[in-house]
Amino acid sequence: MSEAITIKFETSGGEQIEVQARPGVSVMEAAVMNNVGGIEAECGGACICATCHVYCDNLEDGTVGEMSSEEDDMLDMASAERRPTSRLSCQLRVSEKLKDAVFIIPENQF
Amino acid sequence: MSAVVIVGASHAGVQAAASLRQKGWQEGIVLLSAEGDYPYHRPPLSKAYIAGEKDEEQLLLRAPDFYRDQGIDLRLNEPALSIDPHARQVVTASGRLDYGKLVLATGSKARTLPLPGAEARGIHTLRSIADARHLRSSMQDAENIVIIGGGFIGLEFASTAVKQGKSVVVLEAQERLLTRALPERLSAFIGGYHTAKGAMFRYGALPERYTTTDDGRVSGVQLGDGTTLPADLVLVGVGGIADMALIEPLELKTIAGGIEVDAHGLTSAPDIYALGDVAAFHNAYANGAMRLESVQNAVDQAKSAAEHIAGGNAPLGAVPWFWTDQYDLKVQMAGLPRPGTTELLRGDPESGAFSILQMEGDRLVAAYSVNRAADHMASRKLIAAGQSIDQRMAADIDTPLMKAVAVAAVS
Repeated sequence: MSEAITIKFETSGGEQIEVQARPGVSVMEAAVMNNVGGIEAECGGACICATCHVYCDNLEDGTVGEMSSEEDDMLDMASAERRPTSRLSCQLRVSEKLKDAVFIIPENQF
Repeated sequence: MSAVVIVGASHAGVQAAASLRQKGWQEGIVLLSAEGDYPYHRPPLSKAYIAGEKDEEQLLLRAPDFYRDQGIDLRLNEPALSIDPHARQVVTASGRLDYGKLVLATGSKARTLPLPGAEARGIHTLRSIADARHLRSSMQDAENIVIIGGGFIGLEFASTAVKQGKSVVVLEAQERLLTRALPERLSAFIGGYHTAKGAMFRYGALPERYTTTDDGRVSGVQLGDGTTLPADLVLVGVGGIADMALIEPLELKTIAGGIEVDAHGLTSAPDIYALGDVAAFHNAYANGAMRLESVQNAVDQAKSAAEHIAGGNAPLGAVPWFWTDQYDLKVQMAGLPRPGTTELLRGDPESGAFSILQMEGDRLVAAYSVNRAADHMASRKLIAAGQSIDQRMAADIDTPLMKAVAVAAVS
């Protein structure tokens, strides 16, 4: 079993939550497994509900990989404002590259 | 005293508990589960879980700590045994629980086929994680798989099994797949896609009996025409039945095979709600009473009911939507089929990405999209808005569907 990776979530209230995530799971799954509120993920990671929206403000370009056209289309429907750093956390895989990344949770998901 | 007791830690049951806390419900919440596992997502069971792409932890609806932190008394392995509406109590193995409000989220069970030989080993249904574990391990040694029923679960499982190199035959009683759920053109496309990948289909095929080995394992499925298809594993995917085993003493009205509810999830009895697969209601999008077995319906109905229990008002009105993943096809459906609609084809099925739009006059009532997420999302908005759309623009794949909203003539 590969070593857990520390990633962080920041709530809309500004609180930072550090979690240990298994490489290979999605950032959404890491949030759910660690009981981080505000990531709803109603569809369970099928990229069809847009309720696991996050802002990846502190990540350098290319760190989390390209977005599929499907994710792009879904983000247009997300409840909170779409920003240039918006992603759906179910489409982001936890890896060494995400060490110490901060994912900002929007105020609402629906 | 005024605790909410939720029977069934299903998607609907868990969402109802979570939404009650979000709405500020301060009293007790008891969530009863017949299963021993923490509540989980069901859709991946026939796909990513069986395929070994997701493990059980990745299926959880919520972390185990969530229930404790939210003050939700989740009781695993503690099914409701009976309900006493006069005492307002739910009976479980550990005693009697008082309820102020009762939420029935018992879901549905897989329909089975009482054919000769049905007790043989190797014949499966798929509803719960226990079913999926069993199926996943049985699949490893299986070579010839027969799937009875060309519905969503059957087809999703077929794609997983073919990808693992199994020989797969799908038996469909009708002359095409998903007769009630999909337009004919989409049925044909999906059937053709599976065939090209190597699955075989028998339409109008009715299984008569299972053949078995001397040691009690299934060895084949015999059809009405006398042919026997070899099978060392059979999945029966012939639909679900609402689980209403407990409701008799409640004297609730039922309709369309489910417990009749209104737009708040409220049944015909005060203080008793029903949600998700077990509930049936008059659906404006279908123009009739029906049960909807979908994640979206479970979630939205649970939110409406939680709001109502907490003293608010948020009647269910969402456009129904569904999805299914088969191979690299993501099929997304918005709205519900209705009789007498006309069809528009948007895009070319040969390209593998297209949508079929069902129109009532110039209004969109349902949309079926294959690898066209943008069309699906636009359809959800357009169906909800009930707006007239320009059919010529809607049929043009190069025009975003949202732009096809007909501009009212300026007088």
